[in-house]
This record gives sequence, structure tokens and C-alpha cells, in this order.
Amino acid sequence: MSSTEALREHEAQERKANRARAKAGRSVIFKIIRCDGPGKPSRWESFKVPVEPGSNVISCLKWIAANPVTIDGKQTTPPVWDSGCLEEVCGACTMVINGKVRQSCSCLIDEYAPLEGDTITLEPMSKFPVVRDLWVDRARLFNALKRVKAWVPIDSTYAQGAGPKESPEHQQTRYRLSECMSCGCCLEACPQYNIEEDESKWDESFIGAHAISQARLFNEHETGKRLKGERLEELSDKGGVGDCGNAQNCVKVCPKHIPLTESIGAMGRATTIHAIASFFTGKK
Amino acid sequence: MGNDSGFMNRHYFLLRRLHSLSGILPIGVFLINHLLTNSTIAWGLVNSRASENVAPGTIEQVGEMTARRVGTFQHEVTFINEMPFLVLIEVTLWVSIAFHAILGVYFARTGKSNTARYAYQDNWRYSLQRLTGYIAIFYIFYHVATLRWGWTFMSPTDEPWSHSQAASTFSLALRGQAQGIGFGGILVSLFYFVGVTASVYHLANGLWTAAITWGLTISESAQRRWGYVCAGLGAGLMLMAWSSLIGFLLLDVNHARAVEADMHAAHGTHVETTLPVAEADH
Amino acid sequence: MSDNRVIVVGGGLAGLAASVRIAESGVPVDLFSMVPVKRSHSVCAQGGINACNEIARQQGYSEYEHFDETIYGGDFLADQHPVLEMANWAPKIIDLLDRMGVPFNRTHEGFRDLRLFGGSLFKRTHFAGATTGQQLLYALDEQTRRYETEGKVTKYEFWEFLWPITHEGRCVGIVAQDMRTMQIRAFRASAVVMATGGCGLVFGKSTNSVICTGGAASRCYQAGAAYGNPEMVQVHPTAIPGADKLRLMSESARGEGGRVWVPRKKGDTRNPVDIPEEERWYFLEERYPAYGNIVPRDIATREIFDVCVNEGMGVDGQNQVYLDLTHRDPDYLTVKLGGILDIYEKFVGVDPRFTPMKIFPAVHYSMGGLWTDYTPGDYNPDAPKPGHKSGSPIPVDAQKGHGLTIGATNNMMTSIPGLYAFGEVNFAYHGANRLGANALLSCIFDGLCNGVSVVNYIKDVKEEAPQGVFDEAVRSEQAKHDKLVASTSGGTGDKAYNPYQIAKELGDEMTAASTVVKTGPRLEQAIAKIGELMQRFGKVELGDAASWTNQSLSFTRATGDMLKIADAILRAGLLREESRGAHFRKDFPERDDSRFFKTSVARYNPETGKSDIEFVPVKAPLVEPRARTYGKSDTKKETKETAAAAS
Ligand SMILES: Cc1cc2nc3c(=O)[nH]c(=O)nc-3n(C[C@H](O)[C@H](O)[C@H](O)COP(=O)(O)OP(=O)(O)OC[C@H]3O[C@@H](n4cnc5c(N)ncnc54)[C@H](O)[C@@H]3O)c2cc1C
Ligand code: HEM
Ligand code: SF4
Ligand code: SF4
Ligand code: FES
Repeated sequence: MSSTEALREHEAQERKANRARAKAGRSVIFKIIRCDGPGKPSRWESFKVPVEPGSNVISCLKWIAANPVTIDGKQTTPPVWDSGCLEEVCGACTMVINGKVRQSCSCLIDEYAPLEGDTITLEPMSKFPVVRDLWVDRARLFNALKRVKAWVPIDSTYAQGAGPKESPEHQQTRYRLSECMSCGCCLEACPQYNIEEDESKWDESFIGAHAISQARLFNEHETGKRLKGERLEELSDKGGVGDCGNAQNCVKVCPKHIPLTESIGAMGRATTIHAIASFFTGKK
Repeated sequence: MGNDSGFMNRHYFLLRRLHSLSGILPIGVFLINHLLTNSTIAWGLVNSRASENVAPGTIEQVGEMTARRVGTFQHEVTFINEMPFLVLIEVTLWVSIAFHAILGVYFARTGKSNTARYAYQDNWRYSLQRLTGYIAIFYIFYHVATLRWGWTFMSPTDEPWSHSQAASTFSLALRGQAQGIGFGGILVSLFYFVGVTASVYHLANGLWTAAITWGLTISESAQRRWGYVCAGLGAGLMLMAWSSLIGFLLLDVNHARAVEADMHAAHGTHVETTLPVAEADH
Repeated sequence: MSDNRVIVVGGGLAGLAASVRIAESGVPVDLFSMVPVKRSHSVCAQGGINACNEIARQQGYSEYEHFDETIYGGDFLADQHPVLEMANWAPKIIDLLDRMGVPFNRTHEGFRDLRLFGGSLFKRTHFAGATTGQQLLYALDEQTRRYETEGKVTKYEFWEFLWPITHEGRCVGIVAQDMRTMQIRAFRASAVVMATGGCGLVFGKSTNSVICTGGAASRCYQAGAAYGNPEMVQVHPTAIPGADKLRLMSESARGEGGRVWVPRKKGDTRNPVDIPEEERWYFLEERYPAYGNIVPRDIATREIFDVCVNEGMGVDGQNQVYLDLTHRDPDYLTVKLGGILDIYEKFVGVDPRFTPMKIFPAVHYSMGGLWTDYTPGDYNPDAPKPGHKSGSPIPVDAQKGHGLTIGATNNMMTSIPGLYAFGEVNFAYHGANRLGANALLSCIFDGLCNGVSVVNYIKDVKEEAPQGVFDEAVRSEQAKHDKLVASTSGGTGDKAYNPYQIAKELGDEMTAASTVVKTGPRLEQAIAKIGELMQRFGKVELGDAASWTNQSLSFTRATGDMLKIADAILRAGLLREESRGAHFRKDFPERDDSRFFKTSVARYNPETGKSDIEFVPVKAPLVEPRARTYGKSDTKKETKETAAAAS
């Protein structure tokens, strides 16, 4: 078992143990960072929330939104957060829960606050500018996908026959990489990825594990390969794969279990070969 | 940021890879070699031929083991000092270390350690890689300044290091006195311990990350296996580093001096007569 | 050409397919979405996407057969031409997605793998792991991003569509609001494509994403666009009840021997594993000795509903029953159902290998939507063919004939010229019931095929609407917005005017009255209830007056719009005195082709604020309606066909 798998297993056991001792009919305290908008100061607010069986962080946030009164009886505004699918496939609801980044829709209260009065802290992701409360603007994350040209350059959307044949093993490799839901967990946990509000600096700041992995995904596709050189150029430049410091947090927090550190190694190799090849051929 | 960052951006890939490479070659290779040399002060005791050049009287006075240890170590140092193009090798090394250190600091400053929240082992190693890099800068600077440049004001002894009396002068620089150890000596010894430990860690972990950087290890299992190799290498180097320190700490400076004198006599080199070191002012 | 832009509202599969197609033809596209398009609801679809393929073809399957299945599955309520065209395009769409890099599952030899899905005897469903919708959406998202970097698509993410702008009867743009800055702005366009998905949230909790309010469709409807078959809403039999959402539980759990039961004693609070066999009521096995737990999904849905809602026998007094797999070997279950059992454990925190799952039917898909037009193609026989039989030769002309005239400017255009509806918001393809894995197809088909119609339409649009039209539209929306914001301070604190409370009552009422089993009196009661809610909504009090990123405001506004759609759903349901597809009237349990072989078309009446319903004959020139039995005599076939039919 790899260290990442061992860690996951350990965390799963911990959650299971909490579930087993969760008390029915309890209330838990939600400590939430509130911020009214960019540049505004932030503050903590606490709420006491009754827990239903199967409650998760989003359902509790909904409860707070409908009853926006803090624990010391102060009327406040409903908290703002981002969410979509509520099934852990869209990536919208990512936030920092009890100090660690994860999706809030799949975060069961029983697993995090099993006893009466236990506290759950919610913070917005710290690597992206806050829009309001728990909602952050992840535009830079999507910009990174443009940098590595994360697409297959097809001729047109008109019928031109089937795509390339592919072995089931190869399909599995691509499928795993293709499950990335752009949630940003890997970026939040990465010590090399830091908040950058200045859009003009995005193209030079660290691109992040998700995009490195996407570059690999599209380099693996028969037609996607056409842009391989351009992707590797981007990854060789400042902010590319070289800026990864191999802390390997990314792979541990990725909810989709994407083999990010393997992608980083693979792109390390590809950029090495690319550099040598272009040195001798003079071609980029 | 002007031209500097422009230059940097244009040659980013090359600089990154040169940084990685320089850590291994020449710096890493030198470090390994250096630790091998130094550890002879401990492991020289198994070198039975090392005492051949030491006068029997001296052996009687200092003991066979000390004779072998100092003998081997001095032999190695002399060998290095007689290498051709020594200056060239030295300059390459200094330039590499300076290059690696300056870029290293620059790169280290791009990250923000977060082990408090993500207390994973790999993450600790990432942070330690940076921390040990910083330590190595101070350590290497001190090491070179006191021993190579003779800045004895930072040293617990006034006596500059001499390659002809390598063991005794270094032992002095470490402890400040011929026998036992004083307060300054303790500080310096501790600093050496930390510095050399940090450097070894930095090299071993650096070799592990370098394999990912260059794309030699891709799969998780390959990374894990290479990790074992690096850990093994690191443990070996650590053993060498610590044993050298212990070796120097457990050396009687006057005994070493006697051995060194005999060595040089046999070798036919002239050595300035150095007096035995006065008993330290306790 | 400078202002000849197209606005696409919605970045799900339909919106993205349309954007790519339109941008590719050189027309600049402004793409609006409430969420980053990659997070659109389409990402949730798991099962797959249907298309005729070479293997099935050699076994007697064909595009025509796919067409026929879709019509039959939809209980003959869909107009038939567009469905034929969609089926004809399906294989080409799969090829295209394949070229875009969708990692479809592969066979040993490297061909695309296929799975069997509800409503067909042939393997015709293509899939990419257990997240087909996600993979398709990502492929289109990537192509859109490519056009975005080329400047051909401009994205407005976190922008909410508020109103279509019309001038001289044509749609000339939209009003939208930035959900962060709350800025309200008008955008000009020569044509507008609505691709805003379904309206599951009208029913409170559903399998849909949190943004699937149908608000956008409702606004078009209130602006004068007709709404087709609103009463046709699909309910999936097995979903996981949750505090916030009902998550889909694949029907394969029943297929693998899952037993459905409730405690015989009302309000039995014992741990289910402690309840002895004789005190459990296996109501499906009891009521349907032949089929047992694998009764067709509509029956399962109705029975579970009946036991909980009518008899009040639900587990813990709630609307839920046990779906029990604990009698099976846990290792076997892990091998066979690992993925879906993990989902249950992840969200419920209970391991279904050892504790029975709690499930309940959930609103899943809206067949109804904005009414759209089309121009038939050259396959237009004089008289409909009698029912097509699986594997029998297809009509000669159908092989090469077109269902639609490709590029005709009115294809999938709503009753407002220049305003199109694509994807789930379009009522066109699924009639009274949608076949599993056909929705993704219809979304992409709309975008690709009918995107061409949009491009053709704007070629003829020259004149410019005066600026005043846009200013007025913004003013009007701003006024509505300001009124809502102003309600915050003037609040009485009475819960009756709390938007969350109104939305909750709406959801509860709609779920109780208009999902699985409907009756005339209950629908009438619900119409009255909605009327009351509308009145209360008139005095709604907002919880947040912020002029920055005010989510309560957006939700409240959508609640008002959901009430309007709900009214249409109920009224059409009341008037349709028959049972067809997903619409089951207990008081009219049979399909009645003589009276209701018709599309219900709802029009908003601005005077009354209510819906006027009209019934328009279905255009069914290709195949004749036949009884929809799914070969009830054959148990084996039955289960095969119905399993997973609605996922
Ligand atoms: C759990 C589940 C599983 C399913 N599985 C399958 C399956 O296996 N096979 C299958 O064929 N179908 C399946 N379906 C159905 C299918 O997923 C949907 O019908 C389809 O994805 C709808 O796509 P769409 O493009 O029409 O809309 P959506 O994907 O819902 O996108 C709507 C878009 O409109 C935007 N929008 C909405 N309102 C506004 C507004 N006011 N202003 C601006 N933008 C707005 C949203 O931001 C979003 O981008 C499933 C559905 C569910 C719920
Ligand atoms: C004792 C001498 C040193 C040795 C043997 C050494 C060796 C190495 C090696 C082998 C690497 C791995 C390169 C890679 O991951 O590709 C490395 C990385 C690094 N070194 Fe050093 N180094 C030394 C001194 C320093 C100094 C003085 C600093 C200054 C802070 C420093 C900072 C770094 C940093 C920050 C990295 C990580 C680069 C990255 O992964 O981005 N090193 N070093
Ligand atoms: S391995 Fe690289 S990308 Fe991943 S967390 Fe570490 S530094 Fe960041
Ligand atoms: S790689 Fe994983 S953690 Fe990173 S964005 Fe994608 S899904 Fe999220
Ligand atoms: S809401 Fe989609 S991942 Fe949580």
C-alpha cells in the first residue's frame, strides 16, 4: 500500500469510528469565517445547529441560512457559499473544514462532530480571492487549463468518422486523469501554490498539479498530442512543473484520487526529453 | 524586477535543471567524497597500514588506534592537496554552491510551508528540504570562513586550520582546546552536528526529488523504491558524518600533532614546528 | 456583422454544444451561466448515452429502431420528426465525442464498449466509467475553452439570466445580473439560445443540482414563450433520501436481489437488522408474487409511494423504505455493486452491506419544457407506419430520410422568434417519459444540429433594436430587484413570508400532489395551495439586504418563478385526464388517445398570473401509437428492460 493509500485508509477508519459514536439528536457548533466582500475584514461567527441523521455541511449551512442567528443571539446575514451537484462531482463546494480542504457536500457531520457541542470550523479556501464568506473565485484555476491547452484540437464538430482506437488499459489511464473536477483541493494544500490576485501574473505563477495532470491527459491522446510541444513549453517555463517542490500534498487531498504525483513525474520526464530534443533539433 | 527576472524567465527551465543538477554534481558528489575523507578520522582505525609511517615511540605515546586514525586522515588530506588543478576544482565547487544557494533561496521563497495543517510525512520533507538548505548556507559559510579563510575570530581557537596538520587543527577548531571541551567548543560542535546533519538530509532528500524532477521515477511505487535507496544512502552518509564528528571530538590534539609530525617526516615534507598546544584554560 | 452575436444561456451539455457549433461557424458567442460551465448539472449523469452502433446494427438494430424506442418509451407524446433526426445523428455524435477525447470504455480490441440499458434489447449505450455525463461535459467544456482563447466565445460565468428582451416580437437580447457585484445589465444579440436545464427544485428535493430551479425557463414563459407538457416529470424509483438532496441509487441494487420492505408495525423504531423476518412487510413481493422486487420501475415507484404516503408505513414515519441487500454475501456485493454501495456509504455514513439502505422515489427529469417548433425533413410519409417491431426491417425511406430540415431557422425555436430552447429545457424529444441515456443525446443533438439553425437565422436579422428597449428592460429588472431588496428592512419576521419557508412548502406540496400518483381533487387542492403561496410571495421578506453577492436574493427570485411553473405543471396535470408515461392519474388510469394524443401547451396569462392550457395534437406521421406494455407476459425480458431505465 502506498503512503497515500495508507493515509486515506487511516482517515476513513477515523471517520468510521466517529460515525459509530455519533449521538442522535445533538447540536453542533459551526464556526464560520464571514467576510462581506473583497477587501472587507473577516470575522468568525458561531452557530448552533441541530443535526439530523445524514446531515452534511451543506445541509447545515442551509439550516443556518434559513435561521441566521449566531450562538449569542445576534441576527446576521445568511452565509454565502458555492455548491452545485451535492454529489461530489462538480467541485463547486470546496472549502477548508476543520483546517483541511475538502468538499463540503460530502462532509458528514457524524464523521466530523460526533458529540454534543463538537465544533466544525469552516473557512474559505485561502489560495483564491474571497468573493463573500465561503465563496472564492477560482478563475485562475481555469486559466491554468488554457495555459496547457487542455483540449483535443479537432478539425471541426462535423461528422468526420470515429476517433482513434485505444486499448482498455490506456482508456483507464486517461479516464482516471479525466475525472479532475477542477475543485482546487490540490492547489489549496500545495505549499508552492499561493494566492495571486493580480491576473496579469497568473501566466507566470505556479500552474498547479491539476493542470500538470491535464497536460499529461491530453498528451496521451492521439490527436491531443499535436499540441504536446506547446504544452511542454508552457510546463518548462516559469510557473510550470519545475515549480513543484514535491511536497505531494496534492495527491493526498485530491477527492478524485487522481495520480497527481505520477503526472508530475511524467511531465518532468517529458520536459526533460523535450528540452534535449529541441536542443539538438532546434525545434520547439 | 527588471532584467534579472527577464533573464530568469527566458532561461527558467535551464536554470531549474542546473540548480537540480548542481545539487548532485558537483555539490552532492563532493559532499559524499568529503564525508568519506572526514570519516577516516573514525574508521581509519581499521587501516592497519596507516601507522607504518609513524615512529614506534609516537605510537607508544598516542596509541595504535590514534596513530591509524590520524594517519589515514592526514594521508587523505595530503592526497587531495596534491591533486592537479586543485584550484580549478575548488573554483567550480564554490561557483556551484553559490549558484545553487542563491537560486535555492529564491526558489525556497516561492513556497509557503503548511505542515501545521497538512502534517504529512512528504510535506514535512518538503519543508525540511528548504530549512536544511538555509542551515546549509550558514553552515557552509562558517565552515569555509573559519577553516579556509582563517577567520579565527569566529572560531574557539586562534590557530588557523592547516592541511598539513589537518586532524589536530580541525579538532582544535571544533573544540577550542587540546583535551576536553569548553563552552565555545560545545556551541561549535553542536553547530557542526546540526549543519552536517542538515546537509546530509538535504542531499538525500534532494536525490529523491531530483528523480521526479528529471522524470526518472514516475509511478508511485518507483518513487517509493527510490525513496528507500535515498534513505539508505542518507543513513550511510549520516553515519559517516556523525562518526567523523565523534572522531574529532575524541581526539587528543597533542597526540594527533605528534602523529602528523611523524607523517610529514616520513613523507619528506617540511613542516613548521608546531608546539604542543598548551593545556586549555579551564 | 459587428453586432451579429448569439447569446447562449446555460453551459450544460446543450449550451456548450451550441456554443461550440455556433462559434465554429464564425459567429461570436456570449455564454452565460450561473456556475462555471464545467460545474453544470450535466456533470451528474452517470449511466451513458444512447446511439445505434455497428454491432447492434448487425443484429438488426438501427437508428430507426432507436427512434421507435424513444417514441414508444415516451408513450407517443413526442412530436416524431425531431426524434427521428436525433436518432439518426446519434452515432455521429458518439464519433465526434470520441474525437474530442471522451474516454469511452473500450473492448479488448480497442473499440468502444457498450452496455444494455432500459428500453432496448440491444446494447446501444456508450459509457465512460460511472461518470459519462461528466466526461461528455468536460469534452465540450474543453472545446469551448479553446474557442474562448481564440476570442470566439466570451464567457459570463456567475451571471444569472433575468429576462429575454424582445423588440417587435423578436428576441433581441437578455437582461442578466452578475451574481457577485449584483450589477444588472442588458446584452444585445441577434438570437438567444436557452439551455438552462431542468426544474427539479420545484419539487423541493430531487436528484437535480441546486441550480435546477427552472427559473430561467419560467422567465421566458412569463415573457410569453409557450411551455410544452409541463405535467410530464419523471420520478426515479430508488434515490437516497438526504437532508439536502435525493441522490440517485442505481436500480441494479434491486437487480442483484435487493428486497424492499417496511416494518409491519407502524413507527417501529428498532434497528432494521433486529426486526425478525415475520415482522417485516415485503410489500412488493406480497403484492406482485410473480415479479417480486423486480417489478417495472413505475410500479415500484407507485407502490413505495403508496405505502409511505397513503398508508403512512414509511420507515421512522418518514417517506422511506428499506432496500435490503444484507442477506447477500458482502464480498459478492462488493464485486457486483461496489461503486454504488460506496456512494451510499459516503453520503449516508452507513455500510449497506450490513445495514439495509433507506430509499424513496425522487423527482429526476422534466420531459416538459419550453415549447419549440421545427420544419420537418424529407422523410415525411403520408401515413404513419404501424408499430415497428424490434429487429424487423426498417422502412426503406427512413434509412436515408431526414426527420428535420437541417438548418431551418425555426428548428427548436420557441414561440418567441429568435429565442431557442436546447437540452432539458426543450420539451421536444422525450414525450411523456424519457428513456435512460437519451437525455445526454438530446442535449448534444440540440446544440450541434440546431446550432446551425441559429446561425442561419441570424443571417437574415439585420435591423438594430433601439437602445431604449434595452434601457427599459434593465429598468424593469432593476425595479423588481430593488423591490426585493427593500423587503428586507420592512420585514415582519413572520415565517410565512420567509422565502425558504415558501420554497419548502412549494416543494412539499408539489411532491405530495403531482409526482407519482395524481388525482383530480388533490391537484385542485395543490393549485389552491400554490395560489396561496403566490400571494404570500407577494409580501416576501428577504433575509439579506447586501448589495454584494446576495445569494438569498437570487434564490428568492427563483422561488417566485418556480411558483409560476408549478402552477402550469398542476393545471396541465389536472386537465390531462388520462395516464400516460410518467403522468399517472389514479382517477384515469388508462391512456386515452382519443382525447389526449395531444401536447399540452401552457401560456402564461399576465392578467391572472396563472397558466392557460391548450391541447395541440401530437405530430405523429411516422409511427402509430400502440399499447405500451413492454411485453408484460415475459418476466425475464421485463426486468432486463426496466432495470436502470431512468438513470
Ligand atoms: C443524477 C442524474 C443522473 C442522470 N443520468 C443520465 C444518464 O445517465 N443519461 C442521460 O442521458 N441523462 C441523464 N440524466 C439527465 C441529464 O443529465 C440532464 O437532462 C442533462 O444533463 C441536462 O443538460 P442541459 O445542458 O440541458 O442542462 P444543465 O446541464 O442542467 O445545465 C444548465 C445550465 O444552465 C445554466 N443556468 C440555469 N439557469 C440559469 C440562469 N437563470 N441564468 C444563467 N444560467 C443559468 C446553468 O448554470 C447551467 O450551466 C441524469 C440526470 C440526473 C439528475
Ligand atoms: C550542502 C550542500 C547542498 C547540497 C548537496 C544540495 C543538494 C541538493 C539537491 C541534490 C537537490 C535536489 C534538486 C531537485 O530536486 O531537483 C537540492 C534541492 C534544493 N536545494 Fe540544495 N544542496 C545544497 C545546498 C543548498 C543550499 C545552501 C540551499 C539554499 C537554501 C539549497 C536549497 C535547495 C532548494 C530550495 C532545493 C529544492 C529545489 C526544488 O525542488 O525546487 N541547497 N539541493
Ligand atoms: S507535489 Fe508539487 S504540486 Fe503537489 S503539493 Fe507538492 S509542490 Fe504542490
Ligand atoms: S486534481 Fe483533484 S484536487 Fe486537483 S482540482 Fe482536480 S479533482 Fe480537485
Ligand atoms: S456540490 Fe458539487 S462537489 Fe459538492
